[in-house]
Amino acid sequence: MRAALSKRTLLVADYSLPSATVVTGAAGWLGRALVHHLSTDSGAYKRDGVLRALVLNEQEAQAVRDVSTNVETVIGSVTDPRSLERLLDGLPADTDVIHTAGVIHPGKVSDFFDVNTTGAANMASAVHRAGLRRMVHVSSNSPFGTNPSELDTFRAHEPYNPYLGYGKSKMQGELAVLAQVEQGLDAVIVRPPWFYGPLQPPRQTTFFRMVRSGKFPKFGAGNQRRSMVFVDNLVQGIVRAELTPNTSGRGYWIADARPYTVNEIIDTVGRALRDEGYDVKPGAMKLPVFAGRIAERADRLIQGTGRYQQQLHVMGEMTHSIACDIDAAREELGYDPQFELYDGMRRSIQWCRAEGLEL
Amino acid sequence: MSEQDIPIHSPAIESLYDTEILVIGSGAGGATTAALLAEAGFDVLVVEEGAWVEQGSVVPFSLEQMNQQYRSAGVTVALGLPSIAYTEGRCAGGGTEVNSGLYRRPPAELLERWRTQYHIRDLDPDEMYAIAHELETALNVTTVPGQVSAPSMVLHRGAEALSWENSESPRWMKYPPGGNAASGQRQSMTRTYLPRAHRAGARIITQCRVRKLVINGTSASQADVVLANGMPGRIRFRHVFVCGGAIHTPALLQRSGLHERIGDTLAVHPTVKLAARFPEAINVPDDVPVHQVKEFAPEISFGGSASNPGLVAMALADNWTEFGHAVNEWQRVSVYYAAITSQGKGRVKAIPGMRDPLVTYHLTGRDKQLLRSGLSRLTLLMLAAGANEVYPSYRGAPLVRTPGDISNLQHSFATTKATVMTVHLCSTVPIGEHPRCAANSFGQVRGMKNVWVNDASMLPDAPGVNPQGSVQAFAVRNARRFIETNSPRG
Repeated sequence: MRAALSKRTLLVADYSLPSATVVTGAAGWLGRALVHHLSTDSGAYKRDGVLRALVLNEQEAQAVRDVSTNVETVIGSVTDPRSLERLLDGLPADTDVIHTAGVIHPGKVSDFFDVNTTGAANMASAVHRAGLRRMVHVSSNSPFGTNPSELDTFRAHEPYNPYLGYGKSKMQGELAVLAQVEQGLDAVIVRPPWFYGPLQPPRQTTFFRMVRSGKFPKFGAGNQRRSMVFVDNLVQGIVRAELTPNTSGRGYWIADARPYTVNEIIDTVGRALRDEGYDVKPGAMKLPVFAGRIAERADRLIQGTGRYQQQLHVMGEMTHSIACDIDAAREELGYDPQFELYDGMRRSIQWCRAEGLEL
Repeated sequence: MSEQDIPIHSPAIESLYDTEILVIGSGAGGATTAALLAEAGFDVLVVEEGAWVEQGSVVPFSLEQMNQQYRSAGVTVALGLPSIAYTEGRCAGGGTEVNSGLYRRPPAELLERWRTQYHIRDLDPDEMYAIAHELETALNVTTVPGQVSAPSMVLHRGAEALSWENSESPRWMKYPPGGNAASGQRQSMTRTYLPRAHRAGARIITQCRVRKLVINGTSASQADVVLANGMPGRIRFRHVFVCGGAIHTPALLQRSGLHERIGDTLAVHPTVKLAARFPEAINVPDDVPVHQVKEFAPEISFGGSASNPGLVAMALADNWTEFGHAVNEWQRVSVYYAAITSQGKGRVKAIPGMRDPLVTYHLTGRDKQLLRSGLSRLTLLMLAAGANEVYPSYRGAPLVRTPGDISNLQHSFATTKATVMTVHLCSTVPIGEHPRCAANSFGQVRGMKNVWVNDASMLPDAPGVNPQGSVQAFAVRNARRFIETNSPRG
């Protein structure tokens, strides 16, 4: 581990809480978790003042209002700069914008760039023009690809190595935000890897089902390392990044305290399911590494034609390690993740059951 | 005649030499072995294939030096996809005369791994570090007085900006009082252990190539050699220490009829390079940077390469039409490397009738990924240190000016387009009690009573750090064990 002396102790005090907070992509999984934590009594970071949410349509607005009553919804899109002017209209100078809007599993590859790249550029320029205090840009591990070996861990500063369409669009999104920082915008980048927790979309429910049935795909020996982040840890990281001054232009990995091996993930999720009273068939679907490489190649070919196939994409990535080091977030932001995989997974399972979802 | 009157070395011209101990090779392993055994009272003869070249008579890292002090004028190639170029010293003092002079102790984790994985008997870290301490005194291992050179500062500055662990590697160098980074004198074998061996009575003959050892059953009795004048000669001995380096030690053993597990496990630190151009003049043509970046060690390490104008041009050569112009501003350019610990497999195979053995090396998929990642991370470090332009050294490489440009590097890099090269060759006659080892825990070649190896070929695998310190520490340990168990002839 790195030097014990926290660089945070050298920084000036945190920013005060903003008078207003804007969340884009508010109807998304992370967006709703933020709305919950920032504006409800059971939220971990409830704050006073305006909370304004950008949503695509009335249906999404309703989904956000289902989470909290203390939220203003604005219908628009990051792809439409005029709607962003409406979103930011009349907000005080000490407003923070948390930009979570993004597309991860789109219908077609061009959606990646419209939302993840152009959308981020539109948002950064709108925040800068409106003269607001700060933007938190939620990026991803994908601009950095996968680790070169199973032992390797991504450090706070890494060269870009985007993985296919999503990674490239998120890299260009980061670069667009950083270009606005050069012009004077105050923006900080948060990079979460694979996240999990309550409010998760149906594709994550499939994940539990695969583990239960002993069919989670495992390539080779299953020693690939994966950083993951429980959604409550991620919300803490985003709030810490938002409120820590002198971090403009910096990017931070926000993940659980340590990466897990694929074997550990399968075992831990199995244990969490059993402890929640589910039958779990032990084992995993063992696949040779080359099968994952074929999926990766097929994903590349299909994306080359402008289409996108979710299963292939996820399979292709599973043969590699995506492990990151959160020391910089700990030292500079005071980030201190509270949940490990087992606790986080139990909470996710409890939430699924409360929602009446079949696992 | 007093000792001072006998020249320290002479070309081999006698048709028959007799000695108690024959040491073949005068590099880090051979010179150390010769000094210790001679000081213990053994009659020692050192044979060296190359010539004795006085330090200061050629410019360090120059093309002239490559001609005089390296095998095959500096570049030999291990076949494979990609082929890997390597360099070997061929002169009195071997690699110690031409290498970077950087010194690293064998890391404690490495010794522990070697002990357990290869079953090396009596490998005691305390003993190894006591030996390391002796070596550091004998070689005057020290850091640079005052400010390090500008190309070294680049590594330090870039790594600090990225919060990457970096440090100045000490070197075996003597600096005059009040001297600076440029005034050091290398404490190579021709300045240290070879004179020590000579003072203790060892004879050193140069320009003498050993063709083969004559072996009967479990003993070797003599070496057939080619003398300085091209005539054949013989050297009779009681014990022989083969210290010709990781390529020529196994090749000689194979030519002598010893094959079992010999030459099958060549290990190297594959290396890729880049050149970086800075706003200010930074080039130091006759020295190498002393900083190394160990943030990703042992898998990936970064450091600086020799960067005289000829070597800058070589680093740009893979993309000459796009990058060649930078050589006109060589004063602002320096060359850097990313080295990895490889899991690939290499082989040394003596071919009947051929002077040099066939060397092959194959990188694994993981090795190739580490080389790509290493070159990309090194590029990021150069930008963080203030480089205007970075020229990665492979065919079709993109010019890098911004962090975004590095994604083009990551996507277009392939080891088959790069000049992958290596300097740290080792492990072709690995020691230990494990069945895969070719010599026992102290370097005695399996099945042989009086044939020993005591050079880089004995290291069980690639150490992940500059290996000279490890080679010498093991050489001292093994020589002492030999002295404890054998007495000089009265």
